[in-house]
Amino acid sequence: MDVISCTGLTKKFGRVTAVDDLSFTVAQNRITGLIGPNGAGKTTLLKIIAGFMRASSGQVTVFSKNPFNSLKAASNMVFIDESMKFPPSLSLADIMLSASVFYKNWDMELARGLFDYFSFKAGQYHSGLSKGMKSTFNVIIGLAARCALTIFDEPTSGMDAGVRKDFYRALLRDYLQKPRNIIFSSHLLNEVDDVLEDILLLDGGKKRLQLPVSELKEFAAALRGRNEVIAELTAGQEIYYRKRMGEEHCYAVLRRDAAEGVLKKSGAAVEILPVKADDLCVYLTDGKR
Amino acid sequence: MQIAEWLENEILCGNIKENEKMYSQYQLSEMFNINPATAAKGINILADQGILYKKRGLGMFLSASAREKIQYKRKNRTLKKLVEEAAAEAGRLGVGEDELIAMLREAKKGLDEREK
Repeated sequence: MDVISCTGLTKKFGRVTAVDDLSFTVAQNRITGLIGPNGAGKTTLLKIIAGFMRASSGQVTVFSKNPFNSLKAASNMVFIDESMKFPPSLSLADIMLSASVFYKNWDMELARGLFDYFSFKAGQYHSGLSKGMKSTFNVIIGLAARCALTIFDEPTSGMDAGVRKDFYRALLRDYLQKPRNIIFSSHLLNEVDDVLEDILLLDGGKKRLQLPVSELKEFAAALRGRNEVIAELTAGQEIYYRKRMGEEHCYAVLRRDAAEGVLKKSGAAVEILPVKADDLCVYLTDGKR
Repeated sequence: MQIAEWLENEILCGNIKENEKMYSQYQLSEMFNINPATAAKGINILADQGILYKKRGLGMFLSASAREKIQYKRKNRTLKKLVEEAAAEAGRLGVGEDELIAMLREAKKGLDEREK
């Protein structure tokens, strides 16, 4: 069963189209990465899925219901982002206590474990935390809530590299213990690709790719050779990226099957090289610039 | 894929023996901090090659000929490719056949001595 399903989903803010005729589904109990450059529509899409915003047109269902104004969606969902606000009069310990009342699957043992691991003190206040510490505290709430749908919007902003690693590990461990639907947006694909199962790549509000990470890694290949040889052999193919290398050579990225076809024809004149998943995402979404 | 290669190395050094249970996708997921689906792909690569077999409800086990299969495959692919690369580099540098073979012997001797 699909947990999330969107058909022709569009969201306009005045003249700006943030999400543009988007259709996709997310299958059950997966960790999905929402990847794309700034302004690709990631946050808008997540907020529509969370039920915080109504779409301008098109359909969206979460657990088979429209999430907007839906109690069922709200009670099964937690949305973590940078701008989370907590009541200023509550200490961190108080916030966790109220969260345990609010979220029916709340795991206090997990929350306390992470709280101590990241050296938080019970008497601290959220407003007094540094940016990175706020993000860290927010993801503790997101993990311990153990909601059927857990949404992280750029959860690691401000965290240092060590804390980000610890967070990815904590996320995977808890996912193994209690598989659930997790979506998180990030532009650090090279850091998160091990954690993810699927990737949804957005650009300009449109879907550019949706596939398992393992397939993304095999999706494209690069050819390197003399300018005229590459130009002749790749004629009619979609080239995702092209770069000159010195005067006479160039480097071209295209679909792996197309690249392998070219290689068979060309023999030794051309070299084939792998393309990293995060580089490919940049090439695929870099067209306008 | 790295997971498949790591598992092959575990089998080659004898850390897992024939007809013993292979690590599960969840164990691998925890060990390497990777998504369990990615770990499962690594296991499936070996299963497709007949290195592992499935016991229903119990998981993946090492087939009787697992080691030989890996040795055969690595010899004919990985090692052959490395030797070809070494030969090509020797050609570029003008290193002759005898010198190349002497270098290989030297390298092997060094390794053997370190193991003692």
